[in-house]
Amino acid sequence: MKFMDWLDERLAVRQLIKVMLTEYYVPKNINFLWSFGVLIMVVFAILVVSGIFLLMYYKPDSHLAFDSVNKTIMMDVEYGWLFRHTHAVAASIMFLVLYVHMARGIYYGSFKAPREIVWITGYILFVLMAATAFTGYLLPWGQMSYWAAQTITTLFEKIPFIGPDLVVWIRGNYIVEDATLTRFFALHVVFLPLLLIVFTAIHLYAVRIVGSNNEDGIELTKEEKKHGKGIPFWPVFMAKEFFVISVFLIFFFYLVFYQYKFAMDPINFTPADYLQTPTHIYPEWYFLAFYEVLRGFFFSQNLGLIAFVLSMFIAAFLPWLDTSPIKSGNHRPLYKILFFIFVADFVFLTILGKLPPTGLYAWLGFAGSLVYFAFFFALPIISRIEKKKLEGGR
Amino acid sequence: MKELKILLILVVVVLVGYWGIEPYAHSVMHGEVKKPDYNYSDLKTTAATTGDPAKGKELFVANCASCHGLKNDGINPGMDKNAAIASFNVVPPDLSNIAAILDHKFLAAFIKNPQQATENPKFAMPPMAQLSDEDVGHIIAYLSSVAKKNLDGKEITIEACGRCHSIKYQKIYAETPAENLKAYLGKVPPDLSVMGKAKELEYLETFINNPQNGLPGTSMPRLGLTKESTEKVVAYLDQIADPHREQRNKLGMWVIGYLVVMVGLTFAWKKKIWKNIH
Ligand code: HEM
Repeated sequence: MKFMDWLDERLAVRQLIKVMLTEYYVPKNINFLWSFGVLIMVVFAILVVSGIFLLMYYKPDSHLAFDSVNKTIMMDVEYGWLFRHTHAVAASIMFLVLYVHMARGIYYGSFKAPREIVWITGYILFVLMAATAFTGYLLPWGQMSYWAAQTITTLFEKIPFIGPDLVVWIRGNYIVEDATLTRFFALHVVFLPLLLIVFTAIHLYAVRIVGSNNEDGIELTKEEKKHGKGIPFWPVFMAKEFFVISVFLIFFFYLVFYQYKFAMDPINFTPADYLQTPTHIYPEWYFLAFYEVLRGFFFSQNLGLIAFVLSMFIAAFLPWLDTSPIKSGNHRPLYKILFFIFVADFVFLTILGKLPPTGLYAWLGFAGSLVYFAFFFALPIISRIEKKKLEGGR
Repeated sequence: MKELKILLILVVVVLVGYWGIEPYAHSVMHGEVKKPDYNYSDLKTTAATTGDPAKGKELFVANCASCHGLKNDGINPGMDKNAAIASFNVVPPDLSNIAAILDHKFLAAFIKNPQQATENPKFAMPPMAQLSDEDVGHIIAYLSSVAKKNLDGKEITIEACGRCHSIKYQKIYAETPAENLKAYLGKVPPDLSVMGKAKELEYLETFINNPQNGLPGTSMPRLGLTKESTEKVVAYLDQIADPHREQRNKLGMWVIGYLVVMVGLTFAWKKKIWKNIH
């Protein structure tokens, strides 16, 4: 304990441990969905470590990239395949845990006051993560890498006035080329991860200040949590957390070793060829729902583009769309129904996003897109209804 | 129990999504893969598939050896490689082992009419109309008598694909230069190094059996491989594309085994810590 005393005099570690761990309380009535924030950090750590190993052999050059990944890393380097599988699967699963984390926030009303900053910083993290995944997907320089980048960057062309110039500026060339690869590389390995770390810090700080929400959405004071309604973060909360992490890792490594194709599309094992457009172009699964909204307005490209942008960002405004004083979906019967319709619709759009946008699928995509927005536009209305009811009950 | 219910909802949502974006999407995008036809039943030929090897050798020297060599029997082609490339844009194959890897009925139909058998109207070899049905049988008998038996997947792949396709990760390079192939086929045939990963194996088998069934309009000729050689080629492409499969499967068991122990330990610890919390 001598050493602890020594450290304590210099860094006040005892106080720090109390404030951060043993005397920081979280509500008792939270379920394992509240473990997903930590799961995100676990996946992020896995991405960073596996990414550093990949970085040691990857070559950001359009002539070398494909072989450096598929030959050097996958075949020649000892356990290179392990790091690539891990990185690819982690990137994919990151979005699964992010979506669960966000859905948890939506269902239990965790975006409401006083957690707006938590929600907004979280949303910024989602957008940054999407950008990181998008830039990273170009790096193996396979057919789908190339054509996904080509298709998505083309979308910027529609922006009034600056669109066409902006596209060239983003690509560094008239088409996706070597210059695009090197800049996506820089963004993917340095700039975006740095921003992710910074915003994660702000996000966590904000969570600590306002405290975690809970299943009933009824705020607890620190005193209430200390005396029965809460549990200390260390060791009680973390004891459960480790269990959840272990179970999650079984699932994760099962995918890494035995079920990785969903994260490493076979078509991407064909080298990029700018002369040969693949028959089906689709983004990775986590963007499919938004992509389907883009295609859903099949009769007007411009409308589709506006809808696409709106669909990506509208959830950031939840704290101002849903003004009902009741937080948790557990106590909001109408909201609960809407929520599950929304979840089903999101899955529906995701599935449609990979199918050819023709015939019936096109119309289903349109219907699905409308339902997507209907959820958000219904929120102010049901907030009104709930407010009325509360006032009437009083 | 409430947590198990939440978990159940989560699992169902994930499984439905997975079903949609993997098996279902694939079935819609690629349709059903046709079954390979190793009888080449569309080819109707009256030509014989067997005869007298000695006569066959005479016929071979007279009719085939101006372009094709047969190393196993010390026969050199009448035309050197560069001259052949200059006139055909593709190297004519040495026929030493051809009878061991091709279906004999296909071979007979091919000799009579290469364009029809390969389903490639621009196929470089001219039809051998001067040969009678019996002649064809003699030649096939000769080719069978010299062919090496029990070729492995790599040898078959090089014989069957190596004139046009490179497999650069195995340091195998197409015999014909790329620019000639482009002139001959309209595009440079893709490298086969990771083809076993880029395509489903089932698709590869069907495609090799009959390229038009996988990629209608493709300039890749039908090769007429037997079932056995096709399967060996596919197995070889699969193995070179995924050389660490065994290591991966084994390591996977260890990692998951380790994590199962971790789940046990963390669960026990959680139980202990939460004993007094209700
Ligand atoms: C890199 C990405 C992210 C990391 C590392 C992260 C991490 C965390 C952690 C550790 C917590 C506390 C534990 C928990 O409640 O799960 C948390 C809470 C929260 N996060 Fe995130 N998060 C990320 C992204 C997001 C996103 C994309 C959103 C939503 C758009 C979001 C919204 C929230 C909310 C609302 C809470 C408070 C939940 C509550 O108290 O009920 N986070 N986050």
